[in-house]
Amino acid sequence: MVIQMLGKVKVCDDTDQREATVLRLARTFIPSVTAGAVILMLFSSSKAYAIPPFARKYQTSCQTCHIDFPKLNDFGKAFKDAGFKFPADDENYIKEPPVLLGAPATKDSFPNSIWPGEIPGMPPVGLRYNQFFQYTGSNRNQFDALAPPGSVPGLIPATDFQAGFFSIFTAGNFGSDIAWWVDDDLSVSGDNSAGGLGDGYLKFVNIGRLMKLPKDSLSFRAGQFELDLPFTQARTINLSPYDIYQQANIGATLPGARQQNVGNQFNFGNVARGIELSGGHTYGGYHYSVAVFDQNTTGVSQAANLFPYVPSATASANGGIGFSSDSNFKNVYARASYRFNLESDPKSRHDIQAAGKTGPHDHTYLSFGTFYMYGDSLQRLPGVSTGTASVILNNYEPYYRVGGDFSYNFRTFNVFGLYMFGHDSDTLPVDATGALIPLPLSSTSAMAAGFVRGIPATFSGGFAEADYLVLPWLMGIMRWDQVNSTADRINGLAFSTNTSYFAPYNSSRDRFTPGVQFLIHANIKASFEYQFRPRQFVTQGTLANGNPIATDPFRVNTALVALEFVY
Amino acid sequence: MKQPMQCVLFISAVFLAGADGVRAGAISGTVTPSKAGAVVYIEAIAGKTFPAPAKPFAIDQKSLLFQPHVMAVPLGATVEFQNNDKVQHNIFWPSISGNKKLSHNMGTWPTGEERSFKFDTPGVVPLLCNVHPEMSAYIIVSPTPYYAVTDASGNFKIADVPDGTYTVSAWAEGMKIQSKPVTLSGNAAAAFALTK
Repeated sequence: MVIQMLGKVKVCDDTDQREATVLRLARTFIPSVTAGAVILMLFSSSKAYAIPPFARKYQTSCQTCHIDFPKLNDFGKAFKDAGFKFPADDENYIKEPPVLLGAPATKDSFPNSIWPGEIPGMPPVGLRYNQFFQYTGSNRNQFDALAPPGSVPGLIPATDFQAGFFSIFTAGNFGSDIAWWVDDDLSVSGDNSAGGLGDGYLKFVNIGRLMKLPKDSLSFRAGQFELDLPFTQARTINLSPYDIYQQANIGATLPGARQQNVGNQFNFGNVARGIELSGGHTYGGYHYSVAVFDQNTTGVSQAANLFPYVPSATASANGGIGFSSDSNFKNVYARASYRFNLESDPKSRHDIQAAGKTGPHDHTYLSFGTFYMYGDSLQRLPGVSTGTASVILNNYEPYYRVGGDFSYNFRTFNVFGLYMFGHDSDTLPVDATGALIPLPLSSTSAMAAGFVRGIPATFSGGFAEADYLVLPWLMGIMRWDQVNSTADRINGLAFSTNTSYFAPYNSSRDRFTPGVQFLIHANIKASFEYQFRPRQFVTQGTLANGNPIATDPFRVNTALVALEFVY
Repeated sequence: MKQPMQCVLFISAVFLAGADGVRAGAISGTVTPSKAGAVVYIEAIAGKTFPAPAKPFAIDQKSLLFQPHVMAVPLGATVEFQNNDKVQHNIFWPSISGNKKLSHNMGTWPTGEERSFKFDTPGVVPLLCNVHPEMSAYIIVSPTPYYAVTDASGNFKIADVPDGTYTVSAWAEGMKIQSKPVTLSGNAAAAFALTK
């Protein structure tokens, strides 16, 4: 898969060859992908969920748990921590009685009976739909220059009405502190085949009680889920995703020892499949989580990663729908944070919400956190063979992501930020003589006999955001995203499509995104977002040493209006 | 014979009129659309004042509900607001009978605590909780101690009302208040057909 991936990135030692390759690539790839890349990579809307099933179950408003859905208030965080139930006396608040799957007294006859549980009286299902209107600045036409002479490039429209997500989701608690969540996009952008599973998991809350650990100090989750990110991407209020969460680590397409044989498609915006241990509370005090999940750095989907030799779980005996992992190695993600609630009154400080003169409200708080993820990206290359049997070289490139975050909240004003550093080790294939094999590999390349260390591929960046709930129905947002990736810029100079961002003019990419959101009802929202996007380029000059240099940078800013509802 | 007869008539008159020597009866009737929780009350009576009740009234917050949902109290009554939920609550009213100058916020309610408020202004007090927007209740502060809350069939009965002519009003959630004159001589009937 690495070969395939690298095959998309043409690198030549000779400058003339490089320029020729660049032009060929531009003519081949760019007209067809530019419009899609610009729209899909940069303006793709985030998924966002509020939970109408809970509103129905408890006959309570969305605002019990949400500030500006799906952003949680402190009570909503406690509700989630508790396994989608009220932290105390949950049964007293349920207006829709559950169906018992066994009388509570059945516990006394265990193990000669199934442990009693319950299911909701009515299926706890919610639906959500959103739609968009987008305006794209006039600089969008500059991409026309990438089209080869005589060809007609695709049109990036100035204005566009777009269908969004139509999603179904269900969540709740089966009793015994076993919670579940499943959400699925039935339709994306009007395409019924483009949807897919978001999160789908069971969470065993407070299993530490079985070991007499402090309350809520240990929970267990298994399935497919968004990692315990400091600030959620899947349930953000923002229309556009955080850039740093979308950042894959693609090595620079340079010749010789400077090249980077790194093509790690992992990013934090992806869901993880695995297990997670967690504990503490997100509304005050400590919180931690440790997740072990499938590694997939090639970006191949489970449906495509199938083999006729061994069936996977959803397969028949002689085949498989596919495997989630592309490696034996499992990624490990760990997060720890501490939140200081700042009320002077101890009772208020330790309560789920703070007491105020005009009613309960979110705490004034300051939280700090850190996160670390470790993986070992597998590359499989054809190796030097002494006989007729093919030899596969398995090469591992360890990689990690590390960062920190903070959040400060005062009443309805919340400012928060995150910094992340990404590092992928780089190993370059060498032939039997120890000479570097030029990348990308092809059928005419020398067979690899081993690997030598190259220059690690790194990136960094993060975001800072301020949310201010001016009125209970009016949210103002200001956000700054930054991603620093020299490799992306180098790859952009080759007009490579295999980067996290198309043709960035600078290694440091800044995006400013002011926005405003209106709750028409507690479940209907109108959102507006304007993106001052990083500079890009489509024209090049040539340096004295023959290397290309980007010229005439421009920004393609966009405005996005969204209407969405959940019920 | 004449004196004993006068004595019986006098005693009967006192018995019928009540303590102030005026005959008292009841105003009864129905409020439609028929449902429980409509309030019928006699508007202020010129030149007449009534002492505030000594015993407080109470409204609870339980299971994310105000209980009861509708309560009528006489002018000057004190209402104790309780919280028997394991979550914090708030009570505020944005107006009294639409007068926003009479809005008031009672603050935060921790579990098990109560706060009280004396209602010195007659009118409809819509109670809200600012952390649970679906919660609502109504206190109808009657200008007089003559009021009643309808049963499930919409029936009401205001007892012990002295004879006289009064303005009687009916309120129900989501309906326009309707007022009409009622003359009481012993007993009287009144029917209200409220509209939105």
